Amino acid sequence: MKKIITLIALFVVVISSAQTQFEQGMTKAFGLWKEGKNAEASALFERIAAADKTSWLPNYYVAMVNATAVFSEKDKTKIDALLTKAQDALDVEFIKDQNNAELYVLQALIYTGYVVADPMTNGMKYSAKVMEAYAKAKAIDPNNPRAVFGEADYQIGGAKWTGVDTKPLCAQVDKAIELFATFKPETPFSPKWGLDRALEVQKNCK
Amino acid sequence: MKTRITFILLLLSTFTFAQNIISGKVLDQKGKPVAGANIYIDGTYDGATSSETGDFSFETSSTGNQFLVVSFLLFETFKKEIDVTNFKDQTVKLRENVNALDAVVITAGTLESGDKARVSVLKPLDIVTTAGSAGNIVAALQTLPGTQSVGEDGRLFVRGGEASETQTFVDGIRVAQPYGATTNNLPTRSRFSPFLFSGIAFSTGGYSAEYGEALSSVLLLNTQDEPDHNKTDIGLMTVGLSLGNTQKWTKSSLSVNMAYINLAPYQAVIPQNVDWNNPYQSLGGETVYRYNFTNGIFKLYAAFDSEKFDLNQKNINFENPVRTDLNNNNFYLNSSYKGTFGTGWQLTTGISYGYSKNKTKYDINDINADENAAQLKLKLGKKFSNYFKLSFGTDYFITKYNENFNDNISINVDNGYDSNIFAAYTEADILFSKKLAMKVGLRYSNNSLLDENNIAPRASLAYKVSKSSQFSFAYGDFSQTPVVDYIKYSKYHQFESEKAQHYILNYQFTQPGQTFRAEAYYKDYSNLVQYNTRDIQYNSVFNNNGKGYAKGLDLFWRDSNLYKNLEYWISYSYIDSERQYKNFPTMATPSFIANHTLSVVTKYFITDWKSQIGFTNSYSSGRPYNDPNQTQFMNGKTKSYNSLSFNWAYLLTTQKILYFSVSNILGTQNIFGYDYAKLPDPNGVYQRQAITPTADRFFFVGFFWTISQNKNENQLKNL
Repeated sequence: MKKIITLIALFVVVISSAQTQFEQGMTKAFGLWKEGKNAEASALFERIAAADKTSWLPNYYVAMVNATAVFSEKDKTKIDALLTKAQDALDVEFIKDQNNAELYVLQALIYTGYVVADPMTNGMKYSAKVMEAYAKAKAIDPNNPRAVFGEADYQIGGAKWTGVDTKPLCAQVDKAIELFATFKPETPFSPKWGLDRALEVQKNCK
Repeated sequence: MKTRITFILLLLSTFTFAQNIISGKVLDQKGKPVAGANIYIDGTYDGATSSETGDFSFETSSTGNQFLVVSFLLFETFKKEIDVTNFKDQTVKLRENVNALDAVVITAGTLESGDKARVSVLKPLDIVTTAGSAGNIVAALQTLPGTQSVGEDGRLFVRGGEASETQTFVDGIRVAQPYGATTNNLPTRSRFSPFLFSGIAFSTGGYSAEYGEALSSVLLLNTQDEPDHNKTDIGLMTVGLSLGNTQKWTKSSLSVNMAYINLAPYQAVIPQNVDWNNPYQSLGGETVYRYNFTNGIFKLYAAFDSEKFDLNQKNINFENPVRTDLNNNNFYLNSSYKGTFGTGWQLTTGISYGYSKNKTKYDINDINADENAAQLKLKLGKKFSNYFKLSFGTDYFITKYNENFNDNISINVDNGYDSNIFAAYTEADILFSKKLAMKVGLRYSNNSLLDENNIAPRASLAYKVSKSSQFSFAYGDFSQTPVVDYIKYSKYHQFESEKAQHYILNYQFTQPGQTFRAEAYYKDYSNLVQYNTRDIQYNSVFNNNGKGYAKGLDLFWRDSNLYKNLEYWISYSYIDSERQYKNFPTMATPSFIANHTLSVVTKYFITDWKSQIGFTNSYSSGRPYNDPNQTQFMNGKTKSYNSLSFNWAYLLTTQKILYFSVSNILGTQNIFGYDYAKLPDPNGVYQRQAITPTADRFFFVGFFWTISQNKNENQLKNL
């Protein structure tokens, strides 16, 4: 009997240690990312993705780290490499699951990176793709705050060129903020970003 | 006791989890440390990122033989099986990824546009937004170096070559009739709408062995693989209307464009230098269908247009203006498949068919011509590694041309020809390193009409001297069947292909937002057709002994960093060229060549006005003409040419654009050349008449509206 209990205990320990390994890794990677060590954070997420193929989160964050790095990257020659890396990581998860709204939101973010990098060349082509990706995300999950906000934010950003009426878009931002309030991430590491930026945009709306 | 043992075991096992230390250094091929590389044991969490000095060290709980992975953005991923107990202070050398963006690309002779191009000289939108281009692909290309602007013709003249020396290809397949119909000294335009093409490569010489039957240049247009989304485009213009629709399904998509052009309103407002009986009118449509297979894409492109106009032109040889009434119907079909199979094989195959029917009434003469042209093409390519690629293929061109000339008095003759050309080529792309690349090729062709075989070698080389600059060199032999004006008399004379050799040296400097190119070239022409009469006639005495040369320097600078929201480019071309061909008695510079050509194009986006305004100034020095009153041949020179054009695009909303453009704002009285009387007047003087544009200015106002379902849906939900 004791033997069985210890075996079970051992089992539990091993399992929980395996879990903490994922959690530890993820927590450490988030820490690196927060410190602005994008390359290290991306590398760690990449290692976790290679070891743990069941979770879509590590690759999601590899894509996220590299896609968002573009917005602050000063060396324009690196932008394409970063976006390619982001796209490659995201593609791995798209093969496994085409019904995840978060992946489409991130896809839209990668396309936005291309637009920001060179609006003259990429604007026309990628703007349509950005909108298409957000539309897909919303089709899967109409209440995803990031999809609702991202779509409105992208159009507000372009409004000064396109002259689009921002009023209904600002209403969407308000709606997204409400959705952020009720949104519950599935796991501690699931995507939950976006509220800060939405509040900022809401300020400018008024 | 037992529990204690288990605890110890457990403790032990956690210890063994972190037992082996893996350490080393990551270097590139030159031995420089690589910082930020990701080093890990495949399938585990164990790994590290290399430091500034390239060093790394980490512990791993794995045992035995494992795969060590080292990855970094711009390098090929390194993977090697190691023994984890014995991998300390090892050096890992990463190989540069030659597919990375900063690898050397052969640039001699080629000016590229589009999102696949690594160095875009012209961006896709530029065709539409360049002032003076009026949506004409060719007019936009004429702001690039190496081209000559020949206002009375409108076609592309490249580096001392005639317009016929440039061939146009859509998705790799030749277009036999790329330009609209025209007559004496009236400029034509490209048949193609710029909106359907995602990439344009314009080669001013030294191009690949894949392309033949072009002495000077090739223009490669690629249709979009994938349209953006479902949409409807409506255009209302002072010169007509256009309508387009795109439908996108999961695997396929269809785009249709229609346009009706009528120059009557424009001709009524702007004073014309010619007398129109019927304005220029055209009705045209084009459609693209695409289907995506798992490993390839099928495309069908079809275009139809019908044009007509009727005018009276002054002619120095006649007292009254001469009437020209022209009708042209043109059909073009192009279908292609591009796909991959096996391990790294790429297949491209296609077929094109072009039909053109021209009915011209010139004075009392009737000239009816029709041409059927087809091309079959098969190309295979295999990438053996990132360093070596081989491609080979075959081509078959069929052309049937028939022309009937009837002066309605005594002459009624038929002339024409049937031509079949078979060609095969092979080409190798070799990358010695990220810095040095080479392309060598060979093209063989057999022409049944001319009864000849040709072998044409081509080679090019590129060397990158620094991060942002490189040199390229290209050499090639080119041959082309003489133009239809000659070979329609093939039953009276056996012609030979005309020939050219190109030598090109190119320097290119690029950094984000800036491109500089300098290209020096030398072209040697031989085997050009000559004849001994004033006009080309069936009973002229022809030979293939003509020759010529062209040498020059082309400069290009494009910049978007100077001032926010301002983009501009400057092209300058210098050319020195002489030929002895046609009925030239001596070597002389042909009338289409200006020694100096300068274009300045600017585009400025004014955010507050939601407007893009642009100016284009084109200048070229005087062009030679022959004055029969003088003893020396081609001794005359026109005054220089200048035209300043302006355009303004105003965004009403995202999807509604108001567009305004006017060419030659300053109203410069340009003269392209002179026509001299065939016979001297009673005083023994040959009278002349200036060749001028049909009107000094062209203006255009258009309203373009895109209705896209995607955005509409969104707006509805928002309301």
